[in-house]
Amino acid sequence: MEKDYTKWVSSSKRSLWRTVGLFFILMGPGIITSNVDNDAGGITTYSLAGAQFGLKLIWSLIPIMIALIVIQEMCARMGVVTGKGLSDLIREKFGAKITFYMMIGVFLTNMGNVISEFAGIAAGMEVFGVNKFISVPLSAFLVWWMIVKGTYKSVEKVFLVACVFYISYIITGFIVKPDWNNVLEQFLHPQLSLHPSEMTMLIGVVGTTIAPWMQFYLQASIVEKGIKIDEYKFARFDVVMGAVMVHIVAFFIILVCAETLFKHGIQIETAKDAALSLAPLAGKYCTYLFAFGLVNASLFAASILPLSTTYLICEGLGWETGIDKKFLEAPQFYGSYSLIIFLGAGIILYPNLPLIPIMYFSQVINGMVLPFVLIFMLLLINDKKLMMNYTNGPVFNAIAWVTSIVMIGFTLLLFIQMF
Amino acid sequence: MDQNLKDFYFFNDFLNRRVYNPSGLKVGKVSDLVAERAEPYPMIIGLVVRTKGREKRFYLPWEKIVRIEPRITFLEEELRGLKISLPEKDIILLREEVMDKQIVDTFGAKVVRVNDLHFLRVDSRLRLVHVDVGFRGLMRRVGWEKGVDWALRWLFSYDLPNQFISWKYVQLLSGSDLLQLSVSQKKLSHLHPADLADIIEDLSGRERSAIFHALDTETAAEALEEIDPKIQKALIETIPVEKASDIVEEMSPSDAVDLLADLTEERAEEILEGMEQEKAEDLRELLIHSDETAGGLMTTAYLSLNPKVTVEAAIARLRAEAPNLDIIDYIYVVDEEEVLLGVVSIRDILTAQSHQPLSEIQAPRVVSVKQDEDQNEVVEAFAKYGFRALPVVDEGNHLRGVISFRSVLDVLAPEAG
Repeated sequence: MEKDYTKWVSSSKRSLWRTVGLFFILMGPGIITSNVDNDAGGITTYSLAGAQFGLKLIWSLIPIMIALIVIQEMCARMGVVTGKGLSDLIREKFGAKITFYMMIGVFLTNMGNVISEFAGIAAGMEVFGVNKFISVPLSAFLVWWMIVKGTYKSVEKVFLVACVFYISYIITGFIVKPDWNNVLEQFLHPQLSLHPSEMTMLIGVVGTTIAPWMQFYLQASIVEKGIKIDEYKFARFDVVMGAVMVHIVAFFIILVCAETLFKHGIQIETAKDAALSLAPLAGKYCTYLFAFGLVNASLFAASILPLSTTYLICEGLGWETGIDKKFLEAPQFYGSYSLIIFLGAGIILYPNLPLIPIMYFSQVINGMVLPFVLIFMLLLINDKKLMMNYTNGPVFNAIAWVTSIVMIGFTLLLFIQMF
Repeated sequence: MDQNLKDFYFFNDFLNRRVYNPSGLKVGKVSDLVAERAEPYPMIIGLVVRTKGREKRFYLPWEKIVRIEPRITFLEEELRGLKISLPEKDIILLREEVMDKQIVDTFGAKVVRVNDLHFLRVDSRLRLVHVDVGFRGLMRRVGWEKGVDWALRWLFSYDLPNQFISWKYVQLLSGSDLLQLSVSQKKLSHLHPADLADIIEDLSGRERSAIFHALDTETAAEALEEIDPKIQKALIETIPVEKASDIVEEMSPSDAVDLLADLTEERAEEILEGMEQEKAEDLRELLIHSDETAGGLMTTAYLSLNPKVTVEAAIARLRAEAPNLDIIDYIYVVDEEEVLLGVVSIRDILTAQSHQPLSEIQAPRVVSVKQDEDQNEVVEAFAKYGFRALPVVDEGNHLRGVISFRSVLDVLAPEAG
């Protein structure tokens, strides 16, 4: 009976209730996108940052958050104004050739992400003593079933609920009893040293927080939701809320690892290591909460990424899409959707899997695609014909360009370091 | 003038090809093709050439081109010397408005994306005859056509076919063609309303409302009945109130009421005020009922007659009012107070003598449902009696409306609509 809510809210005379109500109806895309961003890869990177450098890098979360808001806001605005997905817009403005290569790039990088999500599920469940040969096939089936059997609306509600479980990291953060004055100090007096290992970590944090798939996914779900221009301010608030939430969670992950692992000089390599090492330092509940957060985040991202990848590729290349179509009507759609899930889950089950090189490769492709996505976005959003009166203003445009150039600079740095 | 044309071309053959002057110097590259809007197949009337100098784009009319093969050569020494601007009316810029865009394939009744365009030589001019929407066209654009062809033939002995749609069946959705939509919408109007509804649902906001605006009132109403309620609401909010009133008036009352109930009260009232008095009254009455009761399912577009009316007169009335009726399977027999006395099916009418009054042929026992009956009870009644429509009465047995079988289908299979 969502219809009735909408009607009740839009006819409500009390302006405060009206505003709050409208926000709850329209929220979702921004918060979900940002939370999916805190996936297995994100949690691993934040854990490593905390374990290796303590609270030293924690200040960087603020500029990264601003960059995320700037970039996501543009996507949301494009979605609302044009009613089209980002891959649609890129195809229409920049032609088939460049879109095709870009879609291959997005496919590969998202494939890498999906693999890491299933790896996260396997690692998190192993903390609870569940074998990966049980947890991975089961979760792959769950993901597939949820999309094929449920409509987007109910799936979105499931996802919004999943966002709540990120609270487990915040609870862990309080359990370890950090020195709050020190935390505040780190924010007020940021230290930046150009030490290579620190730079690598910083680039890693930036790279995991702002990824190409997010822009496509956010814009597509804004379009799917059918948000109108006069409701845009709610969508914008949703985007800002999402970006803030994701960084609060990231903050607590870094905090937990800094207060425990870093202080005791424990070296870790994965998020699972982090969870296990917490037990002797902060108690086994901390370990369970941390691992639960990892499983939840990975499962969440594993449900969204394959579908969003499939949608954006099919739309960009002009193939039939939609979960309401039959297999023969949309063979490319179902084909690539199933391929991503089966490959992603299957690779994890392969014995002695070279996971690190795979992740490395996925990061490289990520770095190659991101500059193109950002530049295309800036060209599209400043296109008067497309955006009418909703192009970037001069100040915002300057911020957006600087953000994008810094982001591109960081990815290039990552490149240089890799070879 | 014979420009040494090949028999057919793809757009991809032109895009970014170099353009030379008579002394063999390269002056620029082709960035767009200009076609004259003509039925059924538009003719190419020139090229847009991109150069490096200060003025970046030039229009090169077809007449000034000496030859296309082996390389595009034009008459003058310099493009600047041409000084011809684009003709203003009735042209299509093929790259800007057609290539890579979504179009409506009115033959297959779906929205597709253009991968390439196919031109044929007719009397030494090129005409746009097909759009290519297939994988082969996409591969041609990417530059992999030969490789993919070879690979598929070698691996599967499969020849990748072209997927062409004749230009006759293409409805553009962007650029200047939007303004022309009302002229060319005859392409759209022979689509079935349900197909048209699917197409409108597939489009993005701007194109959606553009297409919807271009439809005539009757087609718009028929299509709107089939569209998803959320999109219905968005569409009706984008059009002027007067037009909305006209469209809602054409819709069947039960669909119209569902739509009005979704709108805000002020908007619904505005639309009702713009309508014919009688129709608006009917809708207002229907609006009172909750969605999930018999009253919420019923329509008021039925025929009710006095028992004294003869079969002959009944047929005449039915014939006269049929275009506006939702229920034509039955005629309801009522007295002056609108109390339901009986029902006559169309079969009864056709088999009776023309001078008999309705009271003689009406079924003595009428099955009806109460206004506030739950919709699930209504579904059961339909299943039990196998009627195509059921009358709805109030406490005093006054006929208030009729539920059609179609409304019951919407209750049982809401997703299928």
